[in-house]
Amino acid sequence: MSTATPTGTAALGQNLRAGTIAKVGSTKRVQELNGMLHGNRPNVDITRARVYTKVYRETEGMPAMMRRYKASAAVYRALSDVVYDHEQLVGWPTKRIRGANFAIELHAHWLAEDLPNLRNRIYDPFEITDEDYKELEEDLLPYWKDKTMAVQWGHYVTEHEWNRAQFGGVSDVSNYLCANGSHFIPAWTDVIQHGFVKYYEEAKALRAALDPNDPTSIDKKIFYDGIIEVLEAIRDWGERLSASCAKKAEGETDPKRKQELENMAAMMKRVPWGPATSFYDAMETAWAVCFFLFVEGAGPSITWSRIDQYLYPYYKADMEKGILTPESALELIEELYIRVNTNVWFQSSQMAYIFGGYYRYPHLDLGGLDENGKDASNELSYLFLRAMRYVRTTAPTVSLMLHQKTPESLLLEACELAAEGMGHPSFFNVEGLYTMLEHRAAGPEGYSNYSRKEIMKYGSPIGCVEPGVEGRQYGHTDSGIINVAGAALMAVTNGVMPAESDNMFAGKLLTYESGAPDSFQTFEEFYAAVKAQVKYAIEECHANLVICEKLLAEQFNLPTFTVLLEGALEKAKDATAGGAKVNIGPTMQMVGFATMADSVAAIKKVVFDDKEATLQEVCDACMNNFKGYEALRAKLIAAPKFGNDDDYVDEIAADLWKWFSDCTVRLKMYRGHYCDAAIQMVQSNVGYGAMTGATPNGRLAGMPISDTMSASQQADTNGPTAAARSYGKLDYGAYSNGTLLNMWISQSEMIEQ
Amino acid sequence: MKEKTATIFDIGRFRNTDGPGIRTIIFFKGCPLRCQWCSNPFGFSPRAQLAVNPARCTGCGACVEACPHGVNAVVPGNPVAVAFGACQVCGACVKVCSAGTRMISGKEYTARQLYQEAAKDAAFYRKGGGGVTLSGGEVLLQHEVAAETLRLCRSNYLNTCIETSAFAPWEHLWQVAQYCHTVFVDLKHMDSAKHQELTGVPNELILENIRRLCRELPKRGGKVIVRMPLVPGYNDDDQAVAAGARFVATLDNTPELNLLPYHNLGESKYEMIGADYGLHHVESRKRRDPRLLEIQSLCQAQAPANRVSLGGDAIELQ
Repeated sequence: MSTATPTGTAALGQNLRAGTIAKVGSTKRVQELNGMLHGNRPNVDITRARVYTKVYRETEGMPAMMRRYKASAAVYRALSDVVYDHEQLVGWPTKRIRGANFAIELHAHWLAEDLPNLRNRIYDPFEITDEDYKELEEDLLPYWKDKTMAVQWGHYVTEHEWNRAQFGGVSDVSNYLCANGSHFIPAWTDVIQHGFVKYYEEAKALRAALDPNDPTSIDKKIFYDGIIEVLEAIRDWGERLSASCAKKAEGETDPKRKQELENMAAMMKRVPWGPATSFYDAMETAWAVCFFLFVEGAGPSITWSRIDQYLYPYYKADMEKGILTPESALELIEELYIRVNTNVWFQSSQMAYIFGGYYRYPHLDLGGLDENGKDASNELSYLFLRAMRYVRTTAPTVSLMLHQKTPESLLLEACELAAEGMGHPSFFNVEGLYTMLEHRAAGPEGYSNYSRKEIMKYGSPIGCVEPGVEGRQYGHTDSGIINVAGAALMAVTNGVMPAESDNMFAGKLLTYESGAPDSFQTFEEFYAAVKAQVKYAIEECHANLVICEKLLAEQFNLPTFTVLLEGALEKAKDATAGGAKVNIGPTMQMVGFATMADSVAAIKKVVFDDKEATLQEVCDACMNNFKGYEALRAKLIAAPKFGNDDDYVDEIAADLWKWFSDCTVRLKMYRGHYCDAAIQMVQSNVGYGAMTGATPNGRLAGMPISDTMSASQQADTNGPTAAARSYGKLDYGAYSNGTLLNMWISQSEMIEQ
Repeated sequence: MKEKTATIFDIGRFRNTDGPGIRTIIFFKGCPLRCQWCSNPFGFSPRAQLAVNPARCTGCGACVEACPHGVNAVVPGNPVAVAFGACQVCGACVKVCSAGTRMISGKEYTARQLYQEAAKDAAFYRKGGGGVTLSGGEVLLQHEVAAETLRLCRSNYLNTCIETSAFAPWEHLWQVAQYCHTVFVDLKHMDSAKHQELTGVPNELILENIRRLCRELPKRGGKVIVRMPLVPGYNDDDQAVAAGARFVATLDNTPELNLLPYHNLGESKYEMIGADYGLHHVESRKRRDPRLLEIQSLCQAQAPANRVSLGGDAIELQ
């Protein structure tokens, strides 16, 4: 599909920058837009930072929620009204494409120190103009650098705790510190059908009905006033963009394009403020709401959820009216895919090290069941899959919700996309999803607040894999990260991170002393120490997260998220303070699972069963990154590895798997719900691996730990069916925040070359 | 009494050739033939044996110290030299090799254990009619365990195939084949003297077995696929392939003729067991090689009623 053929790496780089090889898509328009997207490099936009600073300076002494809501409204009023050639959807979150309108109130503490490296850092460098750089350095950052959530959290913990929870790489909260407002499925069906005007009228009515003599109404008044102000800013944004389209239409000489621009101007008068009247309108609302949330929130994973369901009535009606064809719908979908890639993720240098790649995890889900348990797929399910094969963009994550009744043709269409090798689509088993949602945030024995019908109609994965329900759930779902490969290593080294590692705590006590290597007489004693280290890491992480949650609820409110939560307006509660029907997390994510299981099994085999080495020797070997211990390393490598359908290690894996979730689900969170376990952190295994010393499975220091819940790299040597059997031995229902398996199958296994 | 075991040199899961669907392939050790192009030399010897991958050897010499029989010798600047003939297969060197270059090829399994291995992937067989294939080596050398394995598989509803040279007494062949959905049988050359030269054995027994199998197996609902490995310059001349196709045309129940392009993927395995590969100079052929397409139409002309397919995965599915 590409319009130019690169002739080497240099040419490839040049062509990428010039946006030429990215000019792919089903129509000329889409090709041009794709080229425009790829012609831009990630860049910093300081509009949001500037507006926040201005509002906060002007509102000193006002209630925290009032300041926050005013800032959100002011940002919408400051958004660019640029309209580019070729586009049919309208509105951009930043002045330049692929800009980051970053949240200075969360990032200032590290950025104040690291700003000089921002343009040239290894992971996720950003372009920034000299003017903006100067303004940040001299004016904006000094105001905020001692006010961010991370800094405030620091007031509640010791410096040692602050450091090890961000740079120790075992019990990590850094993903939570700068990512307020994330992992969300707004009430799509409702907002597309009714527009923001519905919430505006609702808020006004509720505001009018407040009884000033009721003590509980005091905060509600501030809440409704703030919400109304934010919604008015959204209304005015639509008017502003409509005017911008109309102005551009005036100057347009091509009659066809002129008509398009006039249509765009008319559309922006209707949506997202009012109800969508066509597929085109509905797509605009889907786009605008998505980027509003990406601007207001600082985190990833604003999710379109079951987009083929809530858009289908509009598609069907327009097809019947004869004003839409599958081809024109496809073109709009492709444009939506291209646009969503503009939302790059702005992260601290430490987090870019772990989550590098700018990817902000927008996500959509296709197929699945309806609320009566029938197959829900329709023509749009196919078009959304097909669109990705044309535009070939990284975002959004396209997913298929699989079940017994999934039509063979839809599954094959999805497999065709998978065979392209881009990592699309994800496949989700809805049975697993429903089980997870039934226990979402509900604690060890509990059931979540969701009804089965709600789950079936509105349930879908968020972000990577986290189960959610449209408009009914809020919470950051990859907040606490537990590197269990590191935790298992701590059980061998008595809590010390080996000196041979790229870690702030290299050679020092990182967790706690669970017993010297020579103190364990039996495997069971050692195994108990492994479990204790995992539990210790989880509990420390939980304690830190609860503090952060309190700070978010008090000072970092999210009005746009709140209006898009069913029932939050009535409750007069912000999303961060518990406005959702189900409040998630923060949750606990496991990374390095197979590395942990393989390490424990290797020790069981080599030390306790075969008695070919002592645990002290294994400890010394890890401490020295196996230098001088090559023969011992070979024995550890030869021990059974997870992913080969071998019960020797699979039973250990399944037990530790369960142990992790048993430890998390009993922990209560700040907003009253319970902590869910997950295993889903893509790519972070490289960053955490870099921070982790050599592990007893034979992995050398600094090498990646195992990815998601997948077998260790090169360890599953028995083929994909044996690996799948190993994965099948784990209890997925216990991971109510989702599980993710990455399987790579070489193309030569599937297709004759 | 101890249950009878078979010596197996590999169990491969998720294979998609040698039968329909996703398959587990069990490789039986030991073969009476020595086909010059064989891609599985580990299947030659019926006994367990040492295999060493010299490409990964660091020359550290740990194996030299560990070996009680002086099999290994350090050669400065080169991989350790191995006197395979002197090896007693004790495995001491495998344990100490920190580079992981060494393995013992060949492990004993009872029929029940083999069935259990095959049944592990039963869930994956369902779609596409997958199942178990017994290969080798020559599976008929260990016909008792092979037959019992297939009987267990068959009675548990798994699809069953074997790959065989058919160089065995008819009773042994039938004992195993009777449990098969599909038997893949090789036809290497129609000229017995030439066959002897290429494989080390004459072909009369083989041809007679194929003829009889094509008559008997379909009666029980099984089918036979005759395979011709096409080795450039050895057995792929017009005359040889035409003769093979004509023979297939005379068989009962019009079996499929499946043409196998030559590949040299087995070459590196020879070095690992201290054997020589005689076909260094022969290049692998792609499926769309013009010569192969030519042979395919030539065979089709000679056996017009039979299906003639090209490539191991091109066979007709049930």
